[in-house]
Amino acid sequence: MIDISAFQDALGIMFSSVGSWGWIVPGLIVGLVFSAIPGISITMAMAIVLPMSLYMDFFSAIVFLTSVYTGAGFGGSVPAILMNIPGSPSSFATTFDGYAMSKKGEHNEALGYALFASTICGIGGYLLLLLVVEPLADIVLRIGPVEMFAVALWGMLLLGSLGSTYISRGLLAAAFGILLGTIGMNTAGFTRGTMGIPVLLDGISPIPAMIGLLAAGQLLSLAGRDYIIEAEGSREVSVRRILKGCWGTLKFPGVLLRGSIIGIVIGAVPGVGSSIGNLIAYAETKRTAKDSATFGKGNPKGVVAAESAVASAEGGSMATMLALGIPGGGATAILIAAFMMHNIVPGPSFIETQKPMVYAIILNNIVQAIVLLAVGIGFIYVASNIVKVRTRYVLPAILVIATLGTYAVTGETAGPITLFVFALLGFALQRYQYPVAAVVVGILLGRMLETEFLRSYQLSGGNPLYIFERPGALAIIGVMLLSLGMTAWGKRKQNRAEAEEEAAMLRLQQEDAAGRAGSHATKT
Amino acid sequence: MTNFTRRDTFRIAAGGLAVTGGLVAMPSILQAANYPSRPINVIVPFATGGYNDRLSRAFAPYLEKELGQPLVIVNKPGAGTQLGNSYALNQPADGYSIMCTSAAPYIPLTVLLQGAPYKVEDFAMLNLPSRDYTLAATSAGSEIKTFAEVIEKLKKDPSSLSIGVQPASADYANMVLAMQASEIDPTKLRIVTYDGGGPARNATAGAQVDVGFVGGEGFLPLKTKVRPLAIFAAEKVDWYPDAPLLAASGVKSDFVEGSQRGWAVTTKLKNEQPEIYKFLAGAVERASKNPQAIEALQKQELATTWFGPEASDKAYRDNAAKMAKYVDLLK
Repeated sequence: MIDISAFQDALGIMFSSVGSWGWIVPGLIVGLVFSAIPGISITMAMAIVLPMSLYMDFFSAIVFLTSVYTGAGFGGSVPAILMNIPGSPSSFATTFDGYAMSKKGEHNEALGYALFASTICGIGGYLLLLLVVEPLADIVLRIGPVEMFAVALWGMLLLGSLGSTYISRGLLAAAFGILLGTIGMNTAGFTRGTMGIPVLLDGISPIPAMIGLLAAGQLLSLAGRDYIIEAEGSREVSVRRILKGCWGTLKFPGVLLRGSIIGIVIGAVPGVGSSIGNLIAYAETKRTAKDSATFGKGNPKGVVAAESAVASAEGGSMATMLALGIPGGGATAILIAAFMMHNIVPGPSFIETQKPMVYAIILNNIVQAIVLLAVGIGFIYVASNIVKVRTRYVLPAILVIATLGTYAVTGETAGPITLFVFALLGFALQRYQYPVAAVVVGILLGRMLETEFLRSYQLSGGNPLYIFERPGALAIIGVMLLSLGMTAWGKRKQNRAEAEEEAAMLRLQQEDAAGRAGSHATKT
Repeated sequence: MTNFTRRDTFRIAAGGLAVTGGLVAMPSILQAANYPSRPINVIVPFATGGYNDRLSRAFAPYLEKELGQPLVIVNKPGAGTQLGNSYALNQPADGYSIMCTSAAPYIPLTVLLQGAPYKVEDFAMLNLPSRDYTLAATSAGSEIKTFAEVIEKLKKDPSSLSIGVQPASADYANMVLAMQASEIDPTKLRIVTYDGGGPARNATAGAQVDVGFVGGEGFLPLKTKVRPLAIFAAEKVDWYPDAPLLAASGVKSDFVEGSQRGWAVTTKLKNEQPEIYKFLAGAVERASKNPQAIEALQKQELATTWFGPEASDKAYRDNAAKMAKYVDLLK
């Protein structure tokens, strides 16, 4: 638990290095802007500024980089909500309800919900981290392939809540996505589907693929319209309504809590990161919500669930990094490099000998989350003005920026080519009414599903009873089945109630008809 | 300028040559005479933040001082260094592109297993200061105490322990060689494959697998969470003194040296621009021997040992030859 004297020393570090606080706002802005550009992920944003941080002293460098991380965690949701194009894979689930709200003219509120959920859960994640940084890290190390496979399966359940007109096409699209996700060299060293192209050995890069798929669909639906939001009266940008959204977030404490827990745990697991946490949090919230039918049509709970998982994943990922020196995802890998470049090696010995510094870093992140609230509102205010611009100007600009974004960071044409190929694919899928979102989920989860299944198989020697040796995996599957069962039970009850109601109505009608008929008969 | 550096002497000498040669001076000599007249790119075929990226950035200020020009780090990650290697070979052989890479085992592996369109001999080493070795380890809380125990258990029942390893790596080859030397059938082992050293180390430290065979250097931050069983090196490794040597466990097996990381150029440059190549090698040597550089890099757990081009090239080619010899084990 928390070490009080180290905590006091940490406060000392915080206040004696006030100069480094100046890096919070620039860091947040860099993070917000980069991750709001479709095609640049959180990791890329941090990789761009890493060499810059070399010239700062240690604490300033860490403050700057973690501020970029914090800002980038939220920035991706801005284009997701306003244009249905997620800035990075971690804001994919935000598009489902965020964009639906925008279409209804509630973009101000949607952004407010997203921002506040981000802030609260960011703080929550770090507060928890302050208390359990070491035990959490030890638990994380115990999570093995079987558990991870269960988590990936859980993510796939999201497909059930994507809703499509044809179930068969939905499943086909998901299977296609998973196949795409397994392209490249797998964990056992086998190469599949690369067509001899060396770039594909690492698999299809998910960001240009995702943007291509989604942007093509967006083009189809937006090109026919003059503005993103049709009703002229709704195209306003109002701080009051943003704040209203912020305030509204507090009405869903349950959603925030669930999102945070899912986010922290999944964020802490090495190699998974926040792009899966938001999918699971969204799917779980939708399934357990009483008003699940309105999800995907602009239910603020969908936005809150997705964003809370993204924001709290940052804390989880930092726990693994600080306590073990293991990167939870790409962003923390960059942070570790920054630590090393300042001659500090994060890991068990770092946390033992430098506890005040660890606490100071965590505390600073809490401060960042609070500052994000103010900077974020300003950023939203500026960015929202996009709804006032005609789509004929917005669309080409977005396409150009996205193409440049996928090119600029690595300087390889592979990014733009992937974007183009997947844009065509997305166009075809849309045309024949296959759900594009199911393909995206498949691409995001396909590799993890395969890798973890293969490792589980290798570890167990092919014995399915091995799962009984893994209580963690059993627990995850148990919770998953319970949640599914409860939903099914709830649906059944609901259906029965509806059926009864219908029957009663029918009876009433019949009685009514019979009564009328009777009265008719008596009359004659 | 009061202190004549080697570069200045070289410049004057070459300049004189150019003057006497007059108009017939060969363009390559002119090029060499002015070298370096603009910033030099350092191609790192890995993403930002990896060992080579950190090495290049930490070493850059000291190398820049010797070269007299700034260095620009260019990250070209992907396909197990194949993309970055191809990129480097496509650059003109003018000395303005050098590489900082894990030459072995990545270059031989891309050639042997991925059918990369270049040869091992297309790259010439300047210096490979960082040498890593396969470490067999188990989690700190494990019941296994020695490597001999592992072998004993596997001899009785090859599926009694799970083994974590990266396929198609030096570690994998070493694992199979050690098993074969102990008369254990590698095909009967319970092998769990990981697509990188990091995940394999996490699985070892977290007791996901009973024994992990991974590059030892990466274990250093996790030292307290693992127990080293055997390191696949000929002599005691100074950065991991508590790791027992493989030979100490009684297993007599050939092994492949793990990663060899450091500075390289294309062989084309070495052959076509020998002066530039010599100049680069000299600059790396002086920077590697600079006490300030040694101290700064040591703090970041980065290597600066000077082996020189000949010894580095030999180590690299020996590794490639051994990889080729055991390539069937890797497939």
